[in-house]
Amino acid sequence: MRDRLTNAMRASHVLALIFVAGALALAVIGAATGDTFYLRLGTEALIFAGLALSVDLLLGYSGALSLGQALYFGVGAYVSALTLLKVPSFWLAMLAAGGATLVASIIGGLIANRVRGVYFALITFGLAQVVSKVVYNTRELGASDGMIGIPVIDIGFGPFSVSAGNPVGFFLIVLAIIMGLYWLTAYLLDTPFGRVLTALKANEKRVPFLGYSVWRARMFSYVLAGLIAGLSGALYPMLRGFVSPELMFFATSGNAVISVILGGVGTLIGAIYGSVLLVVLKSIIGSWTEHHLIVIGLIFMICVMFLPKGLIGFIRPRLEERLSEKTPDATPLTSVSLQPGSAKP
Amino acid sequence: MNALDYLQFVLAPQVVNGLALGVAVVLVALGLTIIFGMLDVINMSHGEFYAIGAYAALALGAAGINFWFLLVLVPILMVPLGMAAERLLIRPVFDSKDRHVTTLLVTFGLALVVEDLLKVVFGPNTQRPPTPIPGATELAGIIVPNYRLFLIVVGAAIVSAVAYVVYRTRLGAMVRAAAFDRNMAASLGVPVALVYAGTFAFGVALAGLAGVLLAPIYSVFPTMGRDFILLAFTVVIVGGMGSIWGAVVAGLLLTQVQALASLVISPVWTDPIVFGTMVAFLVFRPQGLFGRLGHA
Repeated sequence: MRDRLTNAMRASHVLALIFVAGALALAVIGAATGDTFYLRLGTEALIFAGLALSVDLLLGYSGALSLGQALYFGVGAYVSALTLLKVPSFWLAMLAAGGATLVASIIGGLIANRVRGVYFALITFGLAQVVSKVVYNTRELGASDGMIGIPVIDIGFGPFSVSAGNPVGFFLIVLAIIMGLYWLTAYLLDTPFGRVLTALKANEKRVPFLGYSVWRARMFSYVLAGLIAGLSGALYPMLRGFVSPELMFFATSGNAVISVILGGVGTLIGAIYGSVLLVVLKSIIGSWTEHHLIVIGLIFMICVMFLPKGLIGFIRPRLEERLSEKTPDATPLTSVSLQPGSAKP
Repeated sequence: MNALDYLQFVLAPQVVNGLALGVAVVLVALGLTIIFGMLDVINMSHGEFYAIGAYAALALGAAGINFWFLLVLVPILMVPLGMAAERLLIRPVFDSKDRHVTTLLVTFGLALVVEDLLKVVFGPNTQRPPTPIPGATELAGIIVPNYRLFLIVVGAAIVSAVAYVVYRTRLGAMVRAAAFDRNMAASLGVPVALVYAGTFAFGVALAGLAGVLLAPIYSVFPTMGRDFILLAFTVVIVGGMGSIWGAVVAGLLLTQVQALASLVISPVWTDPIVFGTMVAFLVFRPQGLFGRLGHA
């Protein structure tokens, strides 16, 4: 049986396929013209899309706004960089970054999940501030300069191998990883456990009455989000060859929040579209003025006030209608009440 | 160096400088905590209003307007700005499902825009208006710049005046009533919409006043609000969101911790200590040292 949430997720998957098709087209054009700049920019947009995805998982599903998600992104990036400097192995770097962010997000989750609402936003903000200031002042981690000279690695898949220095190859690998993370998240949200998360956002007070642990659900989503951010961050030093404390600063977390709002809260794919949109906006506006924040800030405010579901939230319902017409076993839209925000305490 | 010299030449100046910074932080945190306590709004653009106040003082001061007159003029000029921000940005989303998050995001957007606007208008460089009160005074063997003394005195006066208005006047009672129960206050004849706009504008005016007062000490640059607001947020959280006395106590305590800690450890490590305190408070006592305003 399919309900509205499954249907909405299917609509997101259609948009995800469109996104992948667009990205593949960019890769083909880039390969044909021998372009490096746009492919590198696209790769970076995809990496930050992973960070935005983790923010959307928290904000759009469990309803918790994280203002410090860059913390885990930065942990992933630094651990990956440290590993690569010792052993230039892609898989080892990803494993180490994943393990480190898992530990970090469990610790962070134990701290942050004691509070909710606006206090959660401020505590995540504070945690990221503390860690970024510590990194900023630690000479072993390169202090304010960060760490440079991270070797360009070869990424091996059995008999095949792709160099991270190859723009097309690395773009495709990052695309695969980010879309894999998207798919994993979407899958987990579609399980009964994922529904508990959605229920949390709709009405947190009723969840314990139904026999589910609020804390466990919040903790799970927090750790999963931290892991997604960390794995995305691990890709950053492979692309740029350096890491710096700016990766953990509020500006990075803030950009992820902007991406999610632009793309659409609670749509998952919206975070990825939003991140790409933000990079495109920045480079278009940046080509005629360095003050792109004025325009981006204005668009952001307009989105928050008038388009609270963002770009994808605007497109997706239309797509959902078409999808539910095609699939007769889907429950009609009007008869379903398990919609975020429809249940009032 | 014996203990008495250490006290006089190292410890005491550090305490006095910490006190001046503490008063500065309290002034910025005051507006922040009032806006949160009364309107339930996290104003992420508060630091930018502080910066606007400082730049207004700089520009008008350069145009030849007396500093003492600016102390009155700039907060008055900030009032319509605050009213407009409340009407255009806060009011439309005030009744949305998740007010905290939505207003936080809207004011975050505003902060981005204002910070960049300041860069466009005034350039990215650091500027510093002349000190209105030059010279220094020797107090019990400690040499203190006159302007810092003035700041400490004026800051104390402003905080007392604000606390008096909020807790002891009819106007303050109306504001607190509107914060406590909007519908009940409205049915008793309190013009709630006006009170909300006025409260927000008042908080913004306080930020502007802080900008005027602090510009001669801490210089003026476009990101000045962002750097300062982190400390102010910490103060508001530790003191208890919405509590005026909490902001005062936490502001003075935290800046003393910062000032004294920098004697023992490298000053760069005081930031993690301050933010660590904020996190610790959020974990173990999220309501802060004191309860919140209007909900006592």
